[in-house]
Amino acid sequence: MSGKVKIMERRGKDLYERVYLIEVFKGMATTFGHFLRNFLDNSKLLVRHYPEQKPEITARWRGRHRLTKHEDGSMKCVACFMCQTNCPAKCIMIEAGERTDGRTEKMPVRFDIDLLECIYCGYCVEACPMDAIRMDTGIFSVTGNERESFVMKLEDLLATPGAFSEEEYKKGGA
Amino acid sequence: MSQLDILLIVSRVCFGAFVPLCFIAVCVWMERRGAAFFQDRSGPNRANICGFRAGGLVQNLADAVKLITKEDIIPGHLKHKFYFVLAPCIVFCIAIASFAAIPFADVMKIGGKEYIMQTIPTDLGILWFLALAGFGVYGIILAGWSSHNKYGVLGGLRAAAQVISYEIPMGLAIVSALIVYGTVNLTGIAQFQGQLLFGFIPMWGVVLQPLGAIIFIVAAFAEANRTPFDLAEGESELVAGFHVEYSSMKFGMFFMGEYVAMFTNAAIIVTLYFGGFQIPWLATETLVAYARPLTVLMMLAVPACGWIFCLWMSKNNRSHYAHESDYRDREVAVYTKIVWGIVAAIDIMLFVYLIAASGGDADRVLVMFLQVFTFLIKTTMMCFVYVWVRWTLPRFRYDQLQRLGWQTLLPLSLLNIFITSAVVVALS
Repeated sequence: MSGKVKIMERRGKDLYERVYLIEVFKGMATTFGHFLRNFLDNSKLLVRHYPEQKPEITARWRGRHRLTKHEDGSMKCVACFMCQTNCPAKCIMIEAGERTDGRTEKMPVRFDIDLLECIYCGYCVEACPMDAIRMDTGIFSVTGNERESFVMKLEDLLATPGAFSEEEYKKGGA
Repeated sequence: MSQLDILLIVSRVCFGAFVPLCFIAVCVWMERRGAAFFQDRSGPNRANICGFRAGGLVQNLADAVKLITKEDIIPGHLKHKFYFVLAPCIVFCIAIASFAAIPFADVMKIGGKEYIMQTIPTDLGILWFLALAGFGVYGIILAGWSSHNKYGVLGGLRAAAQVISYEIPMGLAIVSALIVYGTVNLTGIAQFQGQLLFGFIPMWGVVLQPLGAIIFIVAAFAEANRTPFDLAEGESELVAGFHVEYSSMKFGMFFMGEYVAMFTNAAIIVTLYFGGFQIPWLATETLVAYARPLTVLMMLAVPACGWIFCLWMSKNNRSHYAHESDYRDREVAVYTKIVWGIVAAIDIMLFVYLIAASGGDADRVLVMFLQVFTFLIKTTMMCFVYVWVRWTLPRFRYDQLQRLGWQTLLPLSLLNIFITSAVVVALS
């Protein structure tokens, strides 16, 4: 435990700083400089004009969920309940049914994610052994008029495409 | 009473009542956009009526609609509901009433009569302000106590202690100013500041009383419960302080009262230390004597100002992102027309004055309007200083606040009185 100890100099004790006013005026000069710069040319503001200018979402961003598919269009999910068991917010509700396309034995007939409960922790993605659930849609704002509209159904989850290429997603650390 | 008397009384009362109310909108707008610009943000610039945003002023309208239509809650556990409702009314009414004694133009001499341009033509001026400023805090204490809420009570107690500590340096700073001016009449004080020191420096209070001005301004900040002295509502420790239980328009009254108090304090600071309605180097009689050349000068200056404003607007009112059919372009076109319309109207009025009415009483009226304009400009600039300080300085801790009040400002203001009286006695 021989961490470096850096002793900070205590400020504010000498007369120059005790007078307050000089330091106050220096601070006011700084802020007024900002004001004047922005007032004379507001293109220098450090803002993103949000609804028109969207933020750049990286592949690691945990956005709204989606369910992935095989190349032939059948869903990867095998209804193993790993994500539902692992979910700390208990927002996933799966109902398993018999699989008909011959890949495995089970598939979900119901897969609901309550986005009002979800905390976007990404544990479901980590738990999934089939890489069937991902949070790479890049959707960062979910809005709706009723509570019910926030419950994502199986069809919604399957219909949403990923926002990134497979390569980018893998590079993101998944 | 002649018709002119009645007209002037009515216009004075209207000025005293409505100008502070109008300046609520201006101050709130200045606070929000100013704060944004100080912090490199753009501030509220979306609310609009048919695409016209008036630089963000429409946001005030949206806020007002929100505040009025919200649920007006009176908590069920209160024992004194009457006082709970009374408190915001006190804060708001006192703030407006304290503007009443402030002169917004020099004494106007029309038809051999003199009209004092204060809402209440009283000689007591500064005493009226002091009395009401001290009374305003009763509303805050009452709000804190009647909320029956620990945060409310703490906020109210802090406000009480703070106002008591800062009333004293404020009063003493005023005493030393009164020694210099030799009158408590605010019109007299403003007239005194129309003189020139050594023949070329305007004899403003801030030149004669620099220390007093600083003490008064600091104390006025504390009186108005503005940052860095807004301990009464310190949200980091007291949630919202005295108005924690208030909602809807009752909160709106506190909010508006705060901004009216800010405007009134700015006006009293301007009147006491920054020459009031006086235009520097141009006293009232000089203005009246040179009314015609000044009018010609104004007829040139007004289009120049309009031109600069339009240039600034067309440069800054543009979208900084790709946008098909930029609605800001339409806005700029309409605003430019409005600005040139106002410029033309002012110039035509001045021209008519030059041709038809110059000389005699019309000069006095013109000078009165000029002085009202000067007074409002100065007050707006002082309000800007309030905003500026708020977004520069962090909040004081409670013990630091009391130490500053009692150990620094009080001795300094006493010292200021001694020095001032010594100089005044030595010079007279």
